[in-house]
Amino acid sequence: MSEEKVLNIERKLTGDLFDNLDQLKLGQNFSEAISVKKQITTIPIRKPGRQDFIRVHPDESYRLETAILELKEERENYLVSPDLWSELAGEVVPKMLYTAINRQGVLVLWPVRLADETGRLDAWNLSAHKAAQIAMEKWIRVASNRSLGAYETFTPRGALPEPEWPDISFQEILRIAFGDYQITSIDHSVLRRLRGEL
Amino acid sequence: MKSESKRFQEIWVVDFEFYGNPGDRPTPVCLVAHELLTGRTLRIWQDEFLKLQSPPYSIGPDSLFIAYYSSAEFSCHLVLGWPLPTNILDLFTEFRNLTNGLKLTCGNGLIGALAYFGVDSIGALKKEVMRDLILSGGPWSNDERKAILDYCQSDVNALVLLFEKMVSKLNLKRALLRGQYMAAAAKIEYHGIPIDMKLFNRLQENWERIKIQLIQKLDADYGVFEDGHFRLSLFEKYLIANNIPWPILETGTLKTDDDTFKEMAQVHPKLRQLRDLRSILSQLKLSKLSIGKDGRNRCLLSAFQTRTGRNAPSNSKFIFGTAAWLRSLIKSEPGIGLAYIDWSQQEFGIAAKLSEDLHMQEAYRSGDPYLAFGKQAGPIPPNATKQSHHKERDRFKACVLGVNYGMGEKALADRIQQSVLEARDLLKKHKDTYKRFWRWSNGALDYAMFYGKLWTVFGWTIMVNENPNPRMLRNFLIQANGAEMLRLACILVLNEGVDICAPVHDAILIEAPLDELDDKISIAQDAMKRASEIVLSGFGLNTDVEKIKYPDRFSDRRGEETWNTILDILAKNL
Repeated sequence: MSEEKVLNIERKLTGDLFDNLDQLKLGQNFSEAISVKKQITTIPIRKPGRQDFIRVHPDESYRLETAILELKEERENYLVSPDLWSELAGEVVPKMLYTAINRQGVLVLWPVRLADETGRLDAWNLSAHKAAQIAMEKWIRVASNRSLGAYETFTPRGALPEPEWPDISFQEILRIAFGDYQITSIDHSVLRRLRGEL
Repeated sequence: MKSESKRFQEIWVVDFEFYGNPGDRPTPVCLVAHELLTGRTLRIWQDEFLKLQSPPYSIGPDSLFIAYYSSAEFSCHLVLGWPLPTNILDLFTEFRNLTNGLKLTCGNGLIGALAYFGVDSIGALKKEVMRDLILSGGPWSNDERKAILDYCQSDVNALVLLFEKMVSKLNLKRALLRGQYMAAAAKIEYHGIPIDMKLFNRLQENWERIKIQLIQKLDADYGVFEDGHFRLSLFEKYLIANNIPWPILETGTLKTDDDTFKEMAQVHPKLRQLRDLRSILSQLKLSKLSIGKDGRNRCLLSAFQTRTGRNAPSNSKFIFGTAAWLRSLIKSEPGIGLAYIDWSQQEFGIAAKLSEDLHMQEAYRSGDPYLAFGKQAGPIPPNATKQSHHKERDRFKACVLGVNYGMGEKALADRIQQSVLEARDLLKKHKDTYKRFWRWSNGALDYAMFYGKLWTVFGWTIMVNENPNPRMLRNFLIQANGAEMLRLACILVLNEGVDICAPVHDAILIEAPLDELDDKISIAQDAMKRASEIVLSGFGLNTDVEKIKYPDRFSDRRGEETWNTILDILAKNL
């Protein structure tokens, strides 16, 4: 047999083996060795599901008062650039976008209508804002109650752990949630369609 | 070679040929030993080495002993009264470790290992012929003796070639530790498990009649047996009459495998007895139990044969592989006692420490991790006890055990006989309570899928093949480190002079004279704790002991009812 290969065998006595077994040990911390981070690629824009327990991000920088153009038939929400709001006064709706997370760790942007220029807000949206305020401190579930004409808020009896907010900026959340659904020009195809030009 | 001789002064590659009936200790026929550094070869026939007090080769701390599946060689050493080598390099365990998880076209025998490295070796057919000649037990003519020695030497030559191929891939220190377990396995096999032969023989003689009476007794509630056989048509009628939906095969016929019966018996407890009966009738292969002339169950432990590195003795030959009731045949001789010592919630403890989940460690240290989990998760109040909240505890226990095996919400719902929603909630509670454990478990799976392998603290490695099984990979670190712990414990316990009859998953069965039993138990428990502390970096696992003093017999709770029914039949009618 070749000498070169034999040289790889080193003498090790059994007594030594058991004197210091720790020297033979290999690490088991595979999670740190690979350090996988979840990449968020989809963030729905909708109110929380009626079965979902949710929390709303308490940091003010994770919410936005803006104007949304909603195509109801297509169930599409468009983020409208502020310089177009006055021109589209009849089409866009002022909304607060809350960043919410459910128990499964799914992020959503929760749009809630804001008061109009007269300061009026219906009971549905008023109750939704109140629910969002509560959700900044507690887990809640919101469900519509038609006979009440508003959302009801439920809190669980048991203690639930705090949510684990993903490490992602609000700008990034907006970018992922709206993607191409942003209107920054009066010539946007959606506006042209509304004007009957398409 | 000069450099090598400074390390090991002698490196011996050794192979024995032997024969023996199942359950008996082997009868060595011949040995061939080749010393790598000097090229010296010894060919020794049995009449010569029977005269020797020790091996004709060096086995001291300056020498290395190399073999393939060396516990066979060590069984021969023990039969001959020879001491075992200090440094053992078993190329079987190392080949298993290099290829664990991969598909091997030629298997993991010596021929398969050589084929893996592209080395031609003795043909399988020739091997078969020579094995038959050896197993005939002689007497052999001079020509046959020479042929057997030549055959033995061809295996040694093959081993030298294999060593050359493998040497650069080995971590010798960890390989030597695994080699120590092969010596321990040989000692355990040599010792064997004591069997109540009087009762065993009575059962065997009367088995056909017992079977008929068992069917009469247990089938009375079902009426699905006819002329001693399970009838599918009668079973269909029973299911319809009792309004029990049953899984079917693609062909439309009812599924009748034991897993289906096991699952359905959990949902419909009244089927449990039927499942037990079918299981008894199919599993009872008394004649296949490997029992030697000295009345001891003894078979190859098949060390390192599973992916997790655990032993894989034959279920039909090894008494701990058979149906639980049959284990009541384990009984020591007068004046001798047995003790079954197992780690308390070993898998939970391993998961808690390796993941460094402090909540899980706290639950383990409480002594009742299932109750502690319920308290940590919220539903069980802090002052609750096992007695006051046993139903809730059972659910949390099912969840903890299920998580260990990657059980999904549907299977857990079946197990706890609750809705899927309930099961989902339990699993969620586990994930919320033991966040760090889940991060570690997910990380291990990610690592395996990305880098293609995982390993234990002492380097037992699994390679990820083309069809990875995420559940198995998640479970690997817990099971395989559990196997490391058991192997280390066996080595330490035996080194302390305690006789081990068998290793059983997370337990060992020891044997000692009654007046020494308590001391030996204490020594074994200390060694097991030490093994857990070594594997888990100071996190010691506790052990539970069940003492069995003659004339009592071993008993497995799951098989007690059946055992008593069978003894009843035997006493009353036969």
